[in-house]
Amino acid sequence: MSRKYAYFPGCSAKGTCKELDVSTHAVASLFGIDLQELENPGCTGAREFRAISENLHLTANGRILALAERLGQDLVAVCDTCLLNLVETNQRLKADAKARDMVNRALAEEGLAFEGVIEVKHFLWVLTEDLSEDELRQRIVRPLRGLQVAPFYGCHIQRPASVYGADRRDETPALDRLCLLLGAEVVQYQGANKCCGFHVVGAEEKIAVQMSGRHLTNAKSNGAQCIVTPCPLCHTVFDAYQPNIERQFKTRYEVPVLHVSQLVGLALGLSVEAVALSRHVVGCDSILAHIGYGANSAATAANPPSA
Amino acid sequence: MSHSLNQTTESEKIRVRLYRFDPAIDQAPRYDSYEVPRTPRMRIMDALNYIHEDLAVDFGYRWLCSTKKCGTCAVNVNGSPRLACWEEAESDMTIEPLSHMPVVRDLVTSRDSFETALSTLSPLIVRKTEYAGFPEPLTAVDMAPTEHLRDCIQCLACQAACPVLDQADSGFAGPALLVALSELAQDPRDGEDRARLASETAQVFKCVSCYECERVCPAEIPIVREAIEPLKRLARPTGTSPGAKRADAFLAVVEERGYANGALIAMRTKGVTLSAIRLAVRMALRGKIDLVEIFLKRASTKVGALRRTYESSKENK
Repeated sequence: MSRKYAYFPGCSAKGTCKELDVSTHAVASLFGIDLQELENPGCTGAREFRAISENLHLTANGRILALAERLGQDLVAVCDTCLLNLVETNQRLKADAKARDMVNRALAEEGLAFEGVIEVKHFLWVLTEDLSEDELRQRIVRPLRGLQVAPFYGCHIQRPASVYGADRRDETPALDRLCLLLGAEVVQYQGANKCCGFHVVGAEEKIAVQMSGRHLTNAKSNGAQCIVTPCPLCHTVFDAYQPNIERQFKTRYEVPVLHVSQLVGLALGLSVEAVALSRHVVGCDSILAHIGYGANSAATAANPPSA
Repeated sequence: MSHSLNQTTESEKIRVRLYRFDPAIDQAPRYDSYEVPRTPRMRIMDALNYIHEDLAVDFGYRWLCSTKKCGTCAVNVNGSPRLACWEEAESDMTIEPLSHMPVVRDLVTSRDSFETALSTLSPLIVRKTEYAGFPEPLTAVDMAPTEHLRDCIQCLACQAACPVLDQADSGFAGPALLVALSELAQDPRDGEDRARLASETAQVFKCVSCYECERVCPAEIPIVREAIEPLKRLARPTGTSPGAKRADAFLAVVEERGYANGALIAMRTKGVTLSAIRLAVRMALRGKIDLVEIFLKRASTKVGALRRTYESSKENK
């Protein structure tokens, strides 16, 4: 059965985390999921647009939603912060006629209109809610063999409750369940639902490094062999800034940080290249060795990407 | 929940580990354990009262109204701030004082640093024009933006939950102070320079947008959307902090390219620093940033209807 979604990759998946885009498409194609990327969608504004002008926030996100509506499909995001902006705007514009009119007046110039006919979901939810556990289980060819995985959800996939409701908060163990299904073990540690500090890392690096360093320390001391996250912003702090964290905490961590689609892809038999595992600052050889990824293939992970 | 609210059996006991510390006497905190019989609709406060009155334990805790008004009874329960008079007792509770405040004794924390910080924010209306007498010419529309902010009971649960405040020297005021400041900043009668107070004194741009404050707020105030973001909107045009500059850089880069580019935004926020170069080299080696794309690629992305919205947003500056 073919499933179709409109797809908004966001700036990380198209820029600093291209491996997220690659691995998301690779995993989707295993299930016949068609992710149709929006054309020139612009930016959800991260945490900035909303703190500059509410009109800008609503118009930028309303435009992305309208582009997805034109495709007639639910919209999939792969970044927690994009997700929150889009889910929140979708709710607001559906409920608030005045805001909707304001957005639609701006969009009319392009012949676009927000009508409120689609839903927004994270790719994690596509895997855990739209696919059945059996569909996933049947495709596992490389079980994760008790790999100690520390899930890191990120804030904007679960908070605030005014957007996601208490239900979604209870639902957050989605990633825990997914890891268990793939044969991994879930590391219990303080920090899985806390903040990585990404949104101040550019301006106030010390604050973010202190916050994320604490979570990394907790994860590692509870046995984590890797962190897995549905958010490329959290990924960036834990991966690209891991050397900064190491300097601040005077500790060598070497904890690889995987995107959800990479962990799933590995368990479903995809190659290191197919999930672009070499595009990380912290190398992933240790986890490849643990899950019994071929010795030859493991060597390729240490090399820069061929592309 | 294993308990039905309306039923209790004699065997049902609540286990409480209680934080005990008197800085005047004790070298270090300790935890004492108690068993408390569960009663119907039992609150955290009821368990504390039972330990105090029925078990005759002399420990310090604070409450006044017991009806979610006075904001004095917030404590950490199993690591998360709760209003003791308002939330149901759990079957297993470790009860500790709120984080980020010095302990006076046991569960009683000092509010002094909060009160002092509040006093630096000019916490009363500074009138633009002289008070014209009652009734003031205010409409419901005038007061709508602060409607929820006025529900704050200053229980400081949000201050305790804020991860930025884990760092004592962050300079960040914290959510409860920002709620107080935002209430004044959005009051049509107020003429104080709230932008400066938000940006420099309260350092609003250090908020990480994690929504932990909203998670624990017993008054369910949308703190980020209705207190903090309005302060950022007010403070950005005059703000000189890296956070304020970052917002400008973000909008400029997205307008040029149609999407955000972290390296470019960082450069325009803080200039080219040694640590930024180190980070850029590290990321470029793994193909995470494309230097050609950053420096040579010119804008080609049409953002259609957004062009005008971008323009008008910049004009707010």
